[in-house]
Amino acid sequence: MEEAQFREYAQRIIDYVVREVIGRPVELAVDTPLVSSGLIDSLALVNILQYLEDVTRMRIPASKVQPKDMDTVALMLATAQRVGKPRK
Amino acid sequence: MTIHTLTIVGIVLVAWIIAWTFPSVRARQALLLAASYLFYSNWGLGFLSILIASSLLNFILGALLRRRLTSGVLWLGVGLNVVLLGFFKYLPPMTEAIWTTGWQLELARKIIMPVGMSFWTFQGLSYLFDLYREEELDPSLLEFCLYMAFWPVVFAGPVCRLPEMLPQFRKRHVFSWEDISEGSFRLIQGAFMKMFLAAILGAGIVLGQGVTAGFDEVKSGWGGLDIWLLGIGFGFLLFFDFAGYSHIVIGTARLFGIRLPENFNRPFLSTTPSIFWTRWHMSLSSWIRDYVFVPLAAASRNRRWPYAVFVIAMTLFGLWHAAKWTFIAWGTYHGVVLVFHRIGQQVKRKHHVKMPPALGAFLAWAVTFPVVSLGWIFFRANSLSQALSMFRTLFSPTAYTRLSMPLRFYVVVAILVIGYFVYEAASSILATWGALYKAKLSTSAKALPSGVPETNVIGLRLNTGGLFNFFADRFWWWFAPAVAVLAVFVAIATYRQSGSVSVTPFIYTLF
Repeated sequence: MEEAQFREYAQRIIDYVVREVIGRPVELAVDTPLVSSGLIDSLALVNILQYLEDVTRMRIPASKVQPKDMDTVALMLATAQRVGKPRK
Repeated sequence: MTIHTLTIVGIVLVAWIIAWTFPSVRARQALLLAASYLFYSNWGLGFLSILIASSLLNFILGALLRRRLTSGVLWLGVGLNVVLLGFFKYLPPMTEAIWTTGWQLELARKIIMPVGMSFWTFQGLSYLFDLYREEELDPSLLEFCLYMAFWPVVFAGPVCRLPEMLPQFRKRHVFSWEDISEGSFRLIQGAFMKMFLAAILGAGIVLGQGVTAGFDEVKSGWGGLDIWLLGIGFGFLLFFDFAGYSHIVIGTARLFGIRLPENFNRPFLSTTPSIFWTRWHMSLSSWIRDYVFVPLAAASRNRRWPYAVFVIAMTLFGLWHAAKWTFIAWGTYHGVVLVFHRIGQQVKRKHHVKMPPALGAFLAWAVTFPVVSLGWIFFRANSLSQALSMFRTLFSPTAYTRLSMPLRFYVVVAILVIGYFVYEAASSILATWGALYKAKLSTSAKALPSGVPETNVIGLRLNTGGLFNFFADRFWWWFAPAVAVLAVFVAIATYRQSGSVSVTPFIYTLF
């Protein structure tokens, strides 16, 4: 993934997490822990995983993803790259 | 605990200490495995052979998965593990429900589930799931068998994961006072919770006037307040029992430098049902989240599908305990509660409901705590009809005019429950003060003008304000003798009542 693309995807995911999941203005960075810090719960994890598929235009099998793979936005994108397959 | 069991525990502890001195990792692992098998064989060689068979089965399936990652091998592994667990855990009660006489019943009664099977089967399953998720795991057969049979957890968890255990099995442990101190404290804390708090809540301050009698001996005629206190009381009884057990196990492992996953984190202070499930039986609830909820919920984009998965996952959680309608009802109840919590969250966000954070947190706790407490009625009731009868009483206004339990029951439950919240509040305030004190001390030391001897100023502050920190950091120095005195008191009191002293088994060893 190129640097510019990474930044764009990361920003979109951060905006989504702040707007749809946390629901209040919070400073988030690409390496802010989300799962381990308790900022997001299991249902939010599922929603973010589905949004990650939309952003990256990949199919990410949930059976291949662990919550620790989704702990930060950077890890989410790395996971998408590792296990994701281009959508048909 | 018999002399035989105590001897085996002694041998295992000695073996562990000897294993510490071995320079070879393999030799140490082999001795630990032998000690673990010796410990487990205390419940019968038949049980041990099933544990070894399950370990070999999962190791072979893991080897197949490592060679080629296919969903077929994964599902074969899941199926075989479920069949093995189902045969011992679910077949006998199902047979008894279908046949009341006959050879089927005789056969089913001969099937006895190996101790801790629900726990180590889930450990085996998590290994297969982790491999399928491309986790880099390369245990040897020796290491995998040790992971499945590791003696502190083989009995009743916490449910461990291989990625956390494998590096620890491979590490050369060095003696550490911090481990000894922390481990001892956890051991004492656990023993106190189990042998004092859980014992008093369960049996009562006078034998037969506790929570257990409230469910087993009072068949009907409870008052509304009785039901509330039985639900709350049993929740605390289970907490003191299982969290006490977890402290003992985690503390024992910590004495030898092994860190096990935590199982409880102040669950009764949770402000939402979903937070509660990140703090109660954490090793199992995170297992259900990681391997059942997330993959299943992400399988569909239908917005209502995750709600169905909440109910499915929590029902499975309940069913994991035993094939009883009460556990299924308890799990389903929590699934439904989680769904209502989500809907409530959405409504709150849609209508921009805002209130001061402290008030909001208090109100959220004031709803969560009773809802969770009522759930324990399903968990503990002897049958579903008893649970439903108790719920009917709960919603009958006339039931609040009578009390059916002895006065000592209300006093004990009230003291222990209020005492727990006072303890939590006090420890939270003290921890905040301690942190503030240390921060101020550090700031003062940095701000000292040149030439002023730093140690004098800090020493003075330590004398005046740091006395608390001294005792707080060495909590177990004074806590241990206090617990010992209390334990002797309880033993004498129990002996005087019943003529014998016995400790009830840990509740979760039944699952």
